[in-house]
Amino acid sequence: MKCAEVQPNLGAFVLGGLEPDEAAEVRRHLASCRSCQDELPELEEASQVLKAAPPPTADPPSYLKDAILSRVRAEKLASSNEELPSSRDRGSKIRRFMIPTVVASALVAMAAIGILFGWQTESPVVTVQLIPTPELRDELQAEGEDYWGVAELHPQTFGNQHVELKLNNLEKPSPGSVYELWFVSGEKYISAGGFTTEGSEKTNVYLTAPPETPNYRTLLITEEPLDNEPAPSEKVILRGDVP
Amino acid sequence: MPERADKPSDEQLMNLLTGPEVEGALSTLYDRYSRTVFGVGLKLLGDRSLAEELVQEVFLKVWRSSHTFDSSRGTFSTWIYRVTRNVALDLYRKYARRIRPESNGDALMSASRDASPGPQESVDDSWLSWRISRALEGLSAVHREVIELAYFQELSQREISEQTGVPLGTVKTRTSSALKRLRVGLAGEDALREARR
Repeated sequence: MKCAEVQPNLGAFVLGGLEPDEAAEVRRHLASCRSCQDELPELEEASQVLKAAPPPTADPPSYLKDAILSRVRAEKLASSNEELPSSRDRGSKIRRFMIPTVVASALVAMAAIGILFGWQTESPVVTVQLIPTPELRDELQAEGEDYWGVAELHPQTFGNQHVELKLNNLEKPSPGSVYELWFVSGEKYISAGGFTTEGSEKTNVYLTAPPETPNYRTLLITEEPLDNEPAPSEKVILRGDVP
Repeated sequence: MPERADKPSDEQLMNLLTGPEVEGALSTLYDRYSRTVFGVGLKLLGDRSLAEELVQEVFLKVWRSSHTFDSSRGTFSTWIYRVTRNVALDLYRKYARRIRPESNGDALMSASRDASPGPQESVDDSWLSWRISRALEGLSAVHREVIELAYFQELSQREISEQTGVPLGTVKTRTSSALKRLRVGLAGEDALREARR
């Protein structure tokens, strides 16, 4: 066997991918060919290093990038809200949620994320109806307006849950505020994260709730000032109980 | 990892994260690094859903903390690795009791097993994994394919040829070429010296 025939086989040889008879021929050639012997160490070195490589099938799910960009968009919006001067007093904030607006582009983008999100999650999915608190409901009905939503809880392997919120007619939070989803059990509560909306007719939001939350059977969406206070504010916008 | 001249470098993209082009810049960085973050996350945490959470948190931190990145103090690859390592350790602490090895993973953070390395040791190993992953990402698709099929799936050259429809001679040439290119990439990542230890 000539060098020109052996050298293309050397990579496969060090990876053990040649047929037994081919490998034997390469071995015989190497025993007497200094030039091909010199080629071998570099290839073997690269082959050895592969042992520390991470699994090659590591493709993150396709919905992740959209979910990340969605979060960036939401946080930027919350940040810009914070910078705007507030033209309303605190008592008027609730009324703002009664004004439905349509931001079609946000709807389309978020709906697309939702489809991908749904493909990736595990069943069974629990659906929680989210409605305004009784006090708010009276006020909303008097105005002839309404907002509502559902939370779909997608259990994951380690007990954490992916939460998909489908919200209708919920306006942007007040400047300097965000919405926050809480899981509540008696006096205990766990945050699943903050979010904002574009003030569109329909808004989909994706959050990840910690593993303890399956035991927390009440969901609250509150409006929270950006003050890092680790407890739900009294401004409950929507509430629902896990069936 | 060197970038092609007609494409923005990682460092240039980082500068765009504070401006109106944030989504395009972050999207490109995600395309370049998400496989590495995810792969190293799987290796560290041994669980797919945690590795997904890692990817989300890492790229949100890349955006939120972009102002802390200083290209004069190191490459973006080194910086995002440190972000990945720190987020992985946070997730490990958060879910420590729940983390268990995947059947095909190394479960490097499975500290509950006596024979397993502890989290810090595992994280140290992950730096080598990171650089190898970056070197693999630097290969062309056809070269990466033969390496993955030959090394990780342990297919013979003939089986690769049958599976991909590429002539056997071409598969062999690509395999040798891929290993040589990988070695150059590993030298660029300074991973060879460490792997020899």
